[in-house]
Amino acid sequence: MKRETLWSCAALVAGLIFLSPVLYTIWMSFLTVDSYYSGDPVLTLANYRAAFGQYDFLRYLLNSLLVSGVVTLGGLALAVMAAFAFARFDFPGGNFLFAAVVATLMIPGHITLIPNYLTLANLGLLDTYAGLILPAISNGFAAFFLRQYIRGIPRALDEAAYMDGARPLQVLWRVIVPIARPAILSMGLYIFITEWNNYIWPLVAINDSDLYTLQIGLAKLYRENPGEDVINWPLVMAASTITILPILLGFLAVERHLVRGITMGAVK
Amino acid sequence: MHSRMTPYLLIAPLLAFIAVFTYIPILTSVDLSFREWDFLTAAKPWVGTENYRLVLSSTQFWNSVKVTAIFALVSVPLRLLLAIGIASYLVREALPQRLLRGALFLPSVTSTVAIAVVFSWLFATDYGVINAALAVFGLPKIYWLQDPQLALWVIIFVNTWKQLGYDIVIYIAGLQAIPTDLYDAANVDGGKRFHVFRRVTVPLVMPTTYFLLVISMIEAFQVFTVVDVMTRGGPAGATDMVVNMLYRVGFTLFDIGQGSAIAVLLFILLIALAVFKARVLGRRVHYEA
Repeated sequence: MKRETLWSCAALVAGLIFLSPVLYTIWMSFLTVDSYYSGDPVLTLANYRAAFGQYDFLRYLLNSLLVSGVVTLGGLALAVMAAFAFARFDFPGGNFLFAAVVATLMIPGHITLIPNYLTLANLGLLDTYAGLILPAISNGFAAFFLRQYIRGIPRALDEAAYMDGARPLQVLWRVIVPIARPAILSMGLYIFITEWNNYIWPLVAINDSDLYTLQIGLAKLYRENPGEDVINWPLVMAASTITILPILLGFLAVERHLVRGITMGAVK
Repeated sequence: MHSRMTPYLLIAPLLAFIAVFTYIPILTSVDLSFREWDFLTAAKPWVGTENYRLVLSSTQFWNSVKVTAIFALVSVPLRLLLAIGIASYLVREALPQRLLRGALFLPSVTSTVAIAVVFSWLFATDYGVINAALAVFGLPKIYWLQDPQLALWVIIFVNTWKQLGYDIVIYIAGLQAIPTDLYDAANVDGGKRFHVFRRVTVPLVMPTTYFLLVISMIEAFQVFTVVDVMTRGGPAGATDMVVNMLYRVGFTLFDIGQGSAIAVLLFILLIALAVFKARVLGRRVHYEA
């Protein structure tokens, strides 16, 4: 028992050392610029006030939340429906179409960069939320993962519902989705994080600073501080913290949710 | 019960998006790579293989291939080696292991841009923590991101720090699937710890290694964000990856033909890599436990 405690402390210290760049970032974000350069710490919230106000990070934060949220919901909806079809129906061309979905996992995303830019330009969707969202909606990995999960759910449950006169979409919504909830939640988390951290596509598709996501806003803020000794590092670190923190907090919240979903299923 | 159309209707939305934003764009890229175009003019004259000739004869392109290959061939094996070693220590479901796992995993879900910004500060020449630490020991400051000999290694370090936790978590899942009686047998035979690791653990997690190798290589050959934020491909092209060049040619020089040619070449390279790995490594992957 004592040894265990000792090891826990050692692991904690090792973890903190590993994460020290991130922890120091958060600490720095509360320092005044002068105190950062003089080395005599004076704490302040001014960096956050400046980031959210003058530098528009509140707007970038809301843009990121909106885009990642819609991509996650839309992506899950498409993936769940397709996964249900691939897991439960035998239909001509089914294997081929499933292979076409899985193959997208191996396709390097950057070959689509220029053509997708052109497609959106033709549709007049550059510099719009739709332009940020639409190319990110389809998610072959989520469809593949959920199909595997749904295959593990006993078919007898579907059949009982069909006997009661349910239609396929009702079976999906009332039988499959509740049982597959842990898998759907973890896929949702994965899609949200991926989209939140997406950089190259918004960089290409967005010029209007009103539509910047956090990633683009942060990169520009960092870059537009030219010359090393004039960089307002505490402000940049406040902006970095704003970019990192929602994912960390969300991760903790959803992780608890996930554990509850799994344990509830085990108790029933 | 339900009509024969039901499954098609269920997959139609996903397939429509995949067709419009993945498959048709591949064909468009191939088409555009044989044309000359700058986004602005109406005409897109067919120029045959001219774009490929220009790309394949430019030193910039071969430099970016070399830099990307070094990045991928150093950082992927490095990550996997560290990850399998660390994972074999963290595989137990006890508190210390779980704490450390959480800490190591964290960077892999955080924003690459933010991490790149933070490490730009750590490695900054003036006021950077690392040079400040060197100064304490009376050592001269090092131009980490301005020195062509060093910048790529800094990029590899940052990428390893960020992605390591993901590899570890996948390895732990792989290790937990190994039946414990295999270890018991190895230990009864008097196996030394490293010996057991080499003879039992490493072969049995081969499928995990193969999976990580394939996806990490694909990802490594497409690295962009860390480089764009930290060095923009500099100094003097020392960190210029293929995708950074693709972005520059396509979206700052507006040379759609050459940009598309680079995209197609990258695509062919990655498909070849995947096929090669399936052929060469695929045979050695499967072990019956």
